[in-house]
Amino acid sequence: MPDISLIATLALMVIKVLVITMILFMLPLPLTYVERKVAGHIQVRLGPWRVGPHGLLQPFADMIKLILKEDIVPDKADKFLFKLAPFMAMIPAFAVYAAIPFGDKWTIPFLDRQVSLYITDMNVGILYVLAISGLGVYGLIFGGWSSNSKYALIGGLRSSAQMISYEIAVSFSAIGVVLLSKSLSLVEIVKHQGGTILHWNFFYLPVGPVWFFIFLIGATAEINRVPFDLPEDEGTLGAGFHTEYSGMRFAFFMLSEYVAMVTVSVMSVVLFFGGWNAPFNIPFVPPILWFIGKVILFIYFFMWLRFTLPRYRYDQLMTIGWKILIPVSLVNLIITGLMKI
Amino acid sequence: MEQIFFYIFATIAVLSAIGVISVRNPVHSAFYLMVTLLQVAAIFILLRSPFLAAVQVFIYVGAIMVLFLFAVMVLDIGKEELTEAFNQQSVIAIPAVVVMLALIAYMIIGGKLSAPVGGYTDGILIGHGTEVLGKELYTKYLFPFEVVSILLLVALVGAIVLVMKDRQG
Amino acid sequence: MNGKKGGVNIFELIKKVVFTDFVKGLMVTLGYNATKSITLKYPDQEKWIPYRRFRGLHTLNRDEKGRELCVACELCSKACPTQCITVIPMEDDTGRGISDRVARVWKVDLVRCLFCGYCEDACPTRALRLGRDYELACTDSSCNLKQREELLVPQAVPESFEGGVVASSTFIVTPAGIRIKADLAKTKRRNW
Repeated sequence: MPDISLIATLALMVIKVLVITMILFMLPLPLTYVERKVAGHIQVRLGPWRVGPHGLLQPFADMIKLILKEDIVPDKADKFLFKLAPFMAMIPAFAVYAAIPFGDKWTIPFLDRQVSLYITDMNVGILYVLAISGLGVYGLIFGGWSSNSKYALIGGLRSSAQMISYEIAVSFSAIGVVLLSKSLSLVEIVKHQGGTILHWNFFYLPVGPVWFFIFLIGATAEINRVPFDLPEDEGTLGAGFHTEYSGMRFAFFMLSEYVAMVTVSVMSVVLFFGGWNAPFNIPFVPPILWFIGKVILFIYFFMWLRFTLPRYRYDQLMTIGWKILIPVSLVNLIITGLMKI
Repeated sequence: MEQIFFYIFATIAVLSAIGVISVRNPVHSAFYLMVTLLQVAAIFILLRSPFLAAVQVFIYVGAIMVLFLFAVMVLDIGKEELTEAFNQQSVIAIPAVVVMLALIAYMIIGGKLSAPVGGYTDGILIGHGTEVLGKELYTKYLFPFEVVSILLLVALVGAIVLVMKDRQG
Repeated sequence: MNGKKGGVNIFELIKKVVFTDFVKGLMVTLGYNATKSITLKYPDQEKWIPYRRFRGLHTLNRDEKGRELCVACELCSKACPTQCITVIPMEDDTGRGISDRVARVWKVDLVRCLFCGYCEDACPTRALRLGRDYELACTDSSCNLKQREELLVPQAVPESFEGGVVASSTFIVTPAGIRIKADLAKTKRRNW
């Protein structure tokens, strides 16, 4: 007989999944707005201004536009994969959040019941996150191939080559973090960084910062942000892999890209900057706020980067991946191993 | 409960595996192969090996299949070449497949496909599966592990040598 | 890379390892991020009032007594490189114009006009000026052809106003169309 606590646990799980999914679905609304505002201000412009006060309603206008737009499927496209590709890009981006810890256990006031601020604590969490986020590239590849357009195909090819090259460096940095924290579980990794700011993996000198920069560069390449946005290189490829997409299908690609950017920010915080741990001992600030604050800083950093750097050339991209990041991470791995003996 | 999940995953895996060899378009084949590999990863989770499942997804689906797709998309295999590949092979292949299936069926029905259960219980595997695997791999099975690494290195060097020759000629 | 062959400049290497150039670039953009925007909030709050030398929409002037200065001499249409001005003169002694020759038709085709200002240079009576109206867009081609009656209406920015300032403005949306009303009393210099 299913007892009440099992049902409660299940209900809690469903609620958590729903809440996180809804938050992720809504995320592009503020993120597109903030990205445009950051772009505007960095270029000494205003950004969105006229739709609503300070342009606050601009994302909603965009959303309405995307929903009402005609969904065009090219005549010569591979219909099956063309229609499937946006979902293949989106589902992994969302599935990653099953393993990400947003905070530790938290007691609901008045109910006296503990709730953990993560969906599951997988004992291979870090591997799960890397593996699932890597699946998102299929949406790009299949989307690019099935459009039957040269620009989209080149975009898809570039994204697959970029993915293969940088996945290695990113997984090496994950190995480094596992070595530093002695666990594959993300919750354990964060707990290991508890205490003062000096316990954070980033401050494990001298290897911590190196791992962080390897992770940051590799992850930026994997989520196709500037300066590694070759798959959607506007200058040479039209719009890259999503050239032929319109309306909601395009919106799904955009959604998955924004969610991937948040994922990388979250993973940087979890792996290197102590997750929900406070850097200083300030009372009355709940851990989740620290977490969100750090993530927001990273999101701003990615936007800042986008409007600062030009795009790398394809051969430079490959050089950075294979000739710099991988050797550096191998050497760093040996040093980390020696330090941990 | 687990049985139901197993049958769901197994059915999808077999169906998509049939898809891999029956569709003509290489990119669709790759897609079905990806589905198969994902289902196998799910079965690994049912077998209490989340590490293997994650690695399966990470390496096979995340890296090797992407490489496959890259090659398939670059090569642009025409449909003619694909049909040409089926010359006279079926005469030999069909009996061979039938014999193999019969052998497998015989072994399964005869109960000969079983291995002794190791000393690890569910309790150890759920919490520390990765640890157990790692320790076994790097102590007891270190020699086979190194042999495999050298094999892979040889294959890597061989591939590079082949490409270099091609470029000179 | 410097000219030395095979040698690695340690200083350059350190600069690369600690991302010096990269950080410099980020600091530049961060600096701009913190500065004030130079965008005019046109049309909602601000509108640029050009200098007198600006060449906008044509305007036909009158003298102090309210008589039309245009004597329909057709010099403007002769001077026009794109032949966009059509003048048809007629005789009129009711005192409409400053002489007994006035324009029956004076129209300019704004699609062809390139706002060179030769017409105002050619004008012997200073009747024709290129004014400071620049909001010439419309939703059909009816507004491309400006007739004399329309151009005789004084423009929003008088000739006496110096210009080169940003005036505060209001954006008026009516069923008839949109309009931007600039308040010339409340102006400020551009801040860059």
